[in-house]
Amino acid sequence: MEIFSIVTRSITKNGVTAHKDPKLPPLPHVSDGPDWTNILNLFNPEQATLLVATVQTLYPHRGVAPTVYRRVVVNFDKLASQTPSAARLSLAFCDKLSAASPVSFTELAETYRISALKTIETTPEFIFVQRMSVRYLYDDLEIWASFGYEGASYHLGGYIKRGFDDLNWLPPLPNDL
Amino acid sequence: MPTYAFNDSDAVVIIGSGAGGGTLANELCQRGLKVVLLEAGPHLTAEDFVNDDWAAYEMLSWLDRRSASGNWRIAKDFPDAPSWHCKVVGGTTTHWSGCTYRFQDHELKARSTYGDIPGASLIDWPISLSELEPYYERAEAKMGVSRTNGLPALPANNNFKVMYWGAKRLGLSKISTGNHAINAVPYDGRPASIQDGFSVSGDKHGARWSTLNVEIPRAEATGKLDLRTGARAIQILHNEAGEANGVVYVDAAGTTHKQTAKIVVLAGNCIESPRLLLNSKTGRYPNGLANGYGHVGRHYLRHIIQTVWSIFDQPVNMHRGELMGGLVADFAEHDPARGFAGGYYIELNAMGLPTTAAFMNPGWWGYDFTNVIEQYAHMAGMFMTGEDMPQPGNRVTLNESELDAFGVPIANLHYDDHPNDLLMRNHGYKTLTGIHQAAGAKRCIEAPAYPASHNLGSNRMSAKPEDGVVDRNGETHEVKNLFIVDGSAFASGGACNPTLTIVALAIRQADFIATRASA
Ligand SMILES: Cc1cc2nc3c(=O)[nH]c(=O)nc-3n(C[C@H](O)[C@H](O)[C@H](O)COP(=O)(O)OP(=O)(O)OC[C@H]3O[C@@H](n4cnc5c(N)ncnc54)[C@H](O)[C@@H]3O)c2cc1C
Repeated sequence: MEIFSIVTRSITKNGVTAHKDPKLPPLPHVSDGPDWTNILNLFNPEQATLLVATVQTLYPHRGVAPTVYRRVVVNFDKLASQTPSAARLSLAFCDKLSAASPVSFTELAETYRISALKTIETTPEFIFVQRMSVRYLYDDLEIWASFGYEGASYHLGGYIKRGFDDLNWLPPLPNDL
Repeated sequence: MPTYAFNDSDAVVIIGSGAGGGTLANELCQRGLKVVLLEAGPHLTAEDFVNDDWAAYEMLSWLDRRSASGNWRIAKDFPDAPSWHCKVVGGTTTHWSGCTYRFQDHELKARSTYGDIPGASLIDWPISLSELEPYYERAEAKMGVSRTNGLPALPANNNFKVMYWGAKRLGLSKISTGNHAINAVPYDGRPASIQDGFSVSGDKHGARWSTLNVEIPRAEATGKLDLRTGARAIQILHNEAGEANGVVYVDAAGTTHKQTAKIVVLAGNCIESPRLLLNSKTGRYPNGLANGYGHVGRHYLRHIIQTVWSIFDQPVNMHRGELMGGLVADFAEHDPARGFAGGYYIELNAMGLPTTAAFMNPGWWGYDFTNVIEQYAHMAGMFMTGEDMPQPGNRVTLNESELDAFGVPIANLHYDDHPNDLLMRNHGYKTLTGIHQAAGAKRCIEAPAYPASHNLGSNRMSAKPEDGVVDRNGETHEVKNLFIVDGSAFASGGACNPTLTIVALAIRQADFIATRASA
C-alpha cells in the first residue's frame, strides 16, 4: 500500500514556506475520503475517527484541514503498531472515552466533548494521548507553515540571508554592542 | 586508530565522550598517554544530523528509562525522562547551544558567601577562581568562545532585539549577545555560523565547538586514542589494594568485556556516573565505590532553569539564527537584598514550533493553548539559569524495582525544591516577563522547567573526604586512580551554564593525571 508521497517536503501557507529536512521522510499521504482509515494497522475505523475527534477537541485550530488531524492518528497508529505500551494506552483511551458519555463522542457537540475529556483528564491514557497529540500535530509540516515556522534551513543556506535579523518594529540596535 | 589489549594495564580508560570525557581524552593523548574511550552511543557525523527538533532529539538523546520522585514539577511532567542529555560520540556537546560563561569568584565559595542556609548542604569548592582562570583561558581558546581572545560577538538576531529593548527600557545595563563556543567568524578550521537555528540538532554546519568535531578527531590524530563506540560500561573494578584498575563493559554485539586500566575516569554525565559507582559494590566497598561517606548520588543540582515565551503584535521569527545568542547579566551577582542566595543569568531562548509546543506547559490543551501556539511567528523567548541549593536528599539512587537491558537497576532522580529555589524562580519569572512587557509583549507565558539539562553535583568535589566524593583534582577520596571529570564533580552549581567549567576542569585534571601516570 502506497502511503508515502515522495514530493511533500515543503508547504507554503499565507506566504510562509515550511521545509522538512531533506533526509527525513515526507508527509504521509492521507486520503480525503472516508477510506483514509484503510492505511491503519491497529485502529479500526471507529477508533480512528474517535481519535481524530479527540485531537480536534484538544487542539482546535480554525482553518486547519481534517487531513492534518488524520495524519496525527496515522502517526499514533504507527507508534502503537511498534510499541505495545502505546497500543495498550491508546486502545484503553478509546474505551474510556467511549464510556464517558451515553452518546458517541464523535456525535457530541464541542461543549460535551470537552466535558467528556475532562472526566478522564488525570488518567494515564489521557495523558498519553494528549502528549502524543502535541508531539505529532505540531510536528506536521502543514501546521508549521500555517503558524509561521519555516523549519529546516541548512540545505537553504541557513537564515543568515533569509531574515535572521529583519525585525524592524523596534529601534535599531546601538553599534557598540 | 590503535586497539589496546583487554589486559593492557597502561591505558587510561574514560567512560563517556562528552564535554568532560571527550576533552580529557584529547588532552591526555596530546600528552602522549594511551587512552581507551568507552562511549555507549554511536559515532554519528554531520552527514547523519538533521534540522529537525524531534528527529534530532530521538537520534541524539539518552532514551533509557528512568524514574523520578520528589516535589519538582518534572516528576509529574517527565516521570520517565527527568534529565536531558545525549548518548552519542560527543555526548551532550552534540546538543548544547554553546553558552560559555565562567563561574564568579564568590560562587566557588558558596558556603562562606551564602552562610548557613537551613536545609542546604552547601560547601566551598576546594579550588579558587584564580587557580581556575588559566584553565578557563585555555578552554575559551580551544572552544573559540566569542568575545574572548579577540573573537567577535555573535551578531544580534530578531529575538535578541526584543530582549535588548525590553531590558534597556527596564534600566538594565549588562546586555550583550553573550559568549558562545559558536563561530561568528571562521576559527580553528571551523566555519562561521550561517544562523541556521539548528546547533542543538547536532550542528550540521560545524560552527559550534563539540568534542565530536574538535577534541575527538584531534585525539585520533595522535594515534593514541582507542575509541570504542556502542560500549556500555556497567561496573568499575578495583584491585586488592582497593585501587581502581578496570572496567566491565558490554559491546554493541552484547558481549561483555573486561578492560584493564591504569586509571579509570568517569565522564558519563551526572546521572550515569553515580549510577555506575553505586552499581560497583564489592565486599570492600559495600555501598558502592567512593561512597564511604554516603555522598555518591547526593546533592544533585539542576539549576533554576525556566523559560518565558511572549507574544507580540508584530513578527519575531525567533527560530531564525543561533538560538541562545543573548545575555542579561544584571542579576548574576549574589545580592541578599533580593531575599535569596545566589544569582541568575537571563539568556535568549528559542525553540522550533514542535518543541515550543511540547515544553510550553505539558498538559495544556484547549482554545487558550491553540490561540497562543498559533502566534508562534510573533513569539519571543528568554530563559534563566540560576544557582539551586544542594540538598542531601536530592539524589540519584538505584531503583531496584526495574533493571535495564544490561541488568543494571535504572536510576531514580529525586528532587525537592528548596525555599531558596522557589524565591529565585519567582524573582526570575517577574524579571523575564518584565523585560518582554517593556518590549511590548501582549501576553507572557511562564513555562515550567523542561527535563534537566544542567545536571551537576552528584559526586561533588570537597576539601574534606567526609563532605564529598572527589578531591580538588577530581580523584575520589576513597578509591585511588578513580577520577570523575563530568558535571557531577561540581561542589556547587553557580549560576552559569556549566560546560566551560567542565572543560576547564578537564584540562586541569589532564595535567594531574599525566603526572600520576608517569610516576
Ligand atoms: C539541549 C541542551 C542545551 C544545552 N546548552 C548548553 C549551553 O548552552 N551551555 C552549557 O554550558 N551547557 C549546555 N547544556 C549542558 C551541557 O550539554 C552539559 O552540561 C555537558 O555536555 C555535560 O558534560 P558531561 O561530560 O558531564 O556529559 P555529556 O556531555 O552528557 O557526556 C556523557 C557521555 O557519557 C556517555 N555515557 C554515559 N554512561 C555511559 C556508560 N555507562 N558507558 C559508556 N558511556 C556512557 C553518554 O552516552 C555521553 O556520550 C545543554 C544541554 C542540553 C540538553
